[in-house]
Amino acid sequence: MSETIVKVVVCSGTACYVMGGSELLLLDDHIPAKWKGRLELEGSPCLGYCKDKTSGKAPFAMVDGELIPQATIPEILRKIGEKLGDR
Amino acid sequence: MNGDIFIEVGHYCCKKYGQGAEGDVFLSRKTDDGRIISVLSDGLGSGIKAGVLATLTATMAAKFVAEDMPPRKAARIIMKTLPVCKERGISYATFTLVDIDSQSQVKIIEYDNPAYLLFRQAAEPVLLEPLKRDLVVRRPAGSRRDHGGTATALLSQAVMHYSEFQATAGDRLVFFSDGVAQSGMGSRAYPLGWGIPRIQAHVMNLIQETPDISARKLAQAIVKEAESHDAYHAKDDITCAVIYFRKPRRLLLMTGPSIDPERDSEMAQIFRDFTGAKVLCGGTTASIISRELGRPIKVNLKNIDPSIPPASTMEGADLVTEGIITLGKVAELLEFPATADRYRVNPATQLTELLLNSDCIEFVVGTKINEAHQDPTMPVELEIRRNIIKRIAGLLEEKYLKEIQIRFI
Repeated sequence: MSETIVKVVVCSGTACYVMGGSELLLLDDHIPAKWKGRLELEGSPCLGYCKDKTSGKAPFAMVDGELIPQATIPEILRKIGEKLGDR
Repeated sequence: MNGDIFIEVGHYCCKKYGQGAEGDVFLSRKTDDGRIISVLSDGLGSGIKAGVLATLTATMAAKFVAEDMPPRKAARIIMKTLPVCKERGISYATFTLVDIDSQSQVKIIEYDNPAYLLFRQAAEPVLLEPLKRDLVVRRPAGSRRDHGGTATALLSQAVMHYSEFQATAGDRLVFFSDGVAQSGMGSRAYPLGWGIPRIQAHVMNLIQETPDISARKLAQAIVKEAESHDAYHAKDDITCAVIYFRKPRRLLLMTGPSIDPERDSEMAQIFRDFTGAKVLCGGTTASIISRELGRPIKVNLKNIDPSIPPASTMEGADLVTEGIITLGKVAELLEFPATADRYRVNPATQLTELLLNSDCIEFVVGTKINEAHQDPTMPVELEIRRNIIKRIAGLLEEKYLKEIQIRFI
């Protein structure tokens, strides 16, 4: 198993927060034990994508630099799995 | 604010156990010429009747002093006006009247309340006792008829004490109703009540433990201690007022980006150069300041309160919060402070606490409308920033007597 560390950024700005981002901040509780230590979870005061209509809709999250619009916990977990090569 | 001294007036009261109303009244007002007039009055007895006596006394005293009436004359009018108690045949309410002018010159008239305490902040706090002069007023002779119908003249003169001093930064004036001094009376621990010497020592302790304790916290701590002597079944109304002369505590609250992105650096400069507590509200605002000053921001993902977006930390900022949701909650907490939400720990309660602990609050408000909030799928509670700030500023100014400045950028 490779030791790649995946960085996950969740937006906690107003728009993301009211559109469901509040749930995403609890992502840490949903990370399977096998991935512990391979993820770096971070919040952002505002990623800024909410002001740009072309990026999709809030809430936003970023997994290893890849933007996920209308993010949900299963969606972020799926993306993390993809990045870790562990689906 | 008088000169470079801010005068914080705080009080706390607890009514006699079982009574529906306070018999002690404290009121404080600011006159147009910059004076602060505070009165603590304790009406005869307790409950509504005492409350009426005390309110009359306090209101009249404050009014007369505000209009520069000589204290002797004011006292005479008050005593003539108060209704006579049916049982005791006298009209009576004690008072402590404090008049502070714009240069922090303090004049105090006391009538039958326990003597005030004045603490001066030196290397160690010291207790001062200004000289007091007696003011004697002839009372309209009250009389009481006994069962046989014979009238007995009652107290015919009243002695008030007058003193004055120049307050300096760090001074604390503590005054209270006899409910504080007599708390615990009859108990094993304090057969004769708490008593002035012990109160002095207690307050001295509190000040030494927390040298910057606010007036409202100190008043509350004294009343709570007194209440505990009566096993929380207060035997009299217990009221304490504290006037704290201190260097003003400043706070900067910056929220919202400017409509003109070229002013971002100006905002960052205001933020950097401000002396006092600094708060950023809003993700975009925080990102701008972080970018301009090159200071990273980190969102605190630990101990999240699900009702309010999490706070972040940034070097040089005392608090970094989300914008509209948090500010909306702050406005609510300021308007209705007696809700259980006040005791949760989240960015909104932290911000409320910071605001209440400051004297001069400067708002720097960006006027840019957040287009992300204009989406019709967004909840309607997302108010316009300017309105919510106006609401908060209004509450702080009128309800909490803070000095407010709002700058739109």
